[in-house]
Amino acid sequence: MALKLWASSAANALKLSSRAAAPFPASSISRCFSSVIDGFRYSDSHEWVKHQGDVATIGITDHAQGHLGEVVFVELPESGTSVTKGSGFGAVESVKATSDVNSPVSGEVIEVNSKLTGTPGLINTSTYEDGWMIKVKPSDPSELQSLMDSKEYSKFCEEEDAH
Amino acid sequence: MSRMATFLRFSSSRVSLISFTLLLDKPPGSSLPLDGLAAALVHIQHRLYQMSLQRTLKAYKFGIVNYLNALKLQERLSGERKAGNIQDTILSLQHPPTYTLGKRRTDHNLLLTESEVQAMGAEVHYTERGGDITFHGPRQAIIYPIISLRAIGFGARKYVEGLESIMIEVASLYGVNAHPGKAGETGVWVGDRKIGAIGVRISSGITSHGLAFNIDPDLNYFKHIVPCGIRDKGVTSLRREAQMQLPEDEVIHDQLIQSFAKTFHFKDMQWSQGGLILPADEIK
Repeated sequence: MALKLWASSAANALKLSSRAAAPFPASSISRCFSSVIDGFRYSDSHEWVKHQGDVATIGITDHAQGHLGEVVFVELPESGTSVTKGSGFGAVESVKATSDVNSPVSGEVIEVNSKLTGTPGLINTSTYEDGWMIKVKPSDPSELQSLMDSKEYSKFCEEEDAH
Repeated sequence: MSRMATFLRFSSSRVSLISFTLLLDKPPGSSLPLDGLAAALVHIQHRLYQMSLQRTLKAYKFGIVNYLNALKLQERLSGERKAGNIQDTILSLQHPPTYTLGKRRTDHNLLLTESEVQAMGAEVHYTERGGDITFHGPRQAIIYPIISLRAIGFGARKYVEGLESIMIEVASLYGVNAHPGKAGETGVWVGDRKIGAIGVRISSGITSHGLAFNIDPDLNYFKHIVPCGIRDKGVTSLRREAQMQLPEDEVIHDQLIQSFAKTFHFKDMQWSQGGLILPADEIK
């Protein structure tokens, strides 16, 4: 058992394929196929960023919404609030659990998605489009470089789900 | 095989001390340098260290604790857990008569004024947890797990399902056939009567708040709220539903904790009676 664990960790460290070491339980098969969008950047707390010009649009990922269940309430900041990379800016509620949502970048909130007040479920049904949460003017665009791209994020999700 | 083991042990003792601290500073998700076997060994050591640290559950047992005291304790513990200073922790306690509301602040479901609530010797608190309005009181088992969901790759839904299954399992020990609610009705039910409630907060992947399981609380208090915002459904207790005699509350609390440890795959448990310092200015 320990040796198999070592082999899997060593394989990860050496970037070899380690699929054989971690068989997927049936219940997590849907999570293998969480969608990602190429061109977006991703945080390790499962938020996505779409960067266009000097606007960063932020939401939570398909992996996150699947793990949350149906979103019934969204708490968002006001326009003009400043956000910090890695810190919470709001929360979503699902299955009687509130989950903080963190900002992947620092900057100023220039717009919030008011549709989420009446239709919080957009986060589940239109995760990367109408389910966006806030738009931020980034104060330090270089922060985006330290986020994951879609391939790295997909791998990150696989590893998390293989626990 | 044994020559390989010897080589691994030799190499790891050389590199581990220096590289171990370097690895701990790496932000999650970043890639490791491909320096061959040395890097792999250090990575393995770090993973084993992480795993041994995180899979023990520390349980603290209290008697009746004022709601705000318990909240402050949870805030402190979840900060410590997020920083990695403590292991996964679980609190077991009961509250004096208290009505609480969640983040949505659904106080239209409280059918009393604040002064009426105070007149009956109860308190009202607004919280950051999910869920609607509920009542906590003596003879209701309160379990607050402060654990890292990221460490086990769980999301909110799977966590809450785990909490439901714990209450269902403990109810079954007393011959009571409980079940989870329908979609959108998180909680544990016997028929259409609610026996267990859930309200959770997840902040940076660390849980707080948790579950409330009715052993034998005074159910009259529930008449003054629309429990969890669901009209036309009653509340019940283990005392009402079980045909057999119930043991001391502490036994049921312990069973909930043990079921939690099993359901969330903890390897070990450590038990502590109280032993945590509650905020001094609030202790009554």
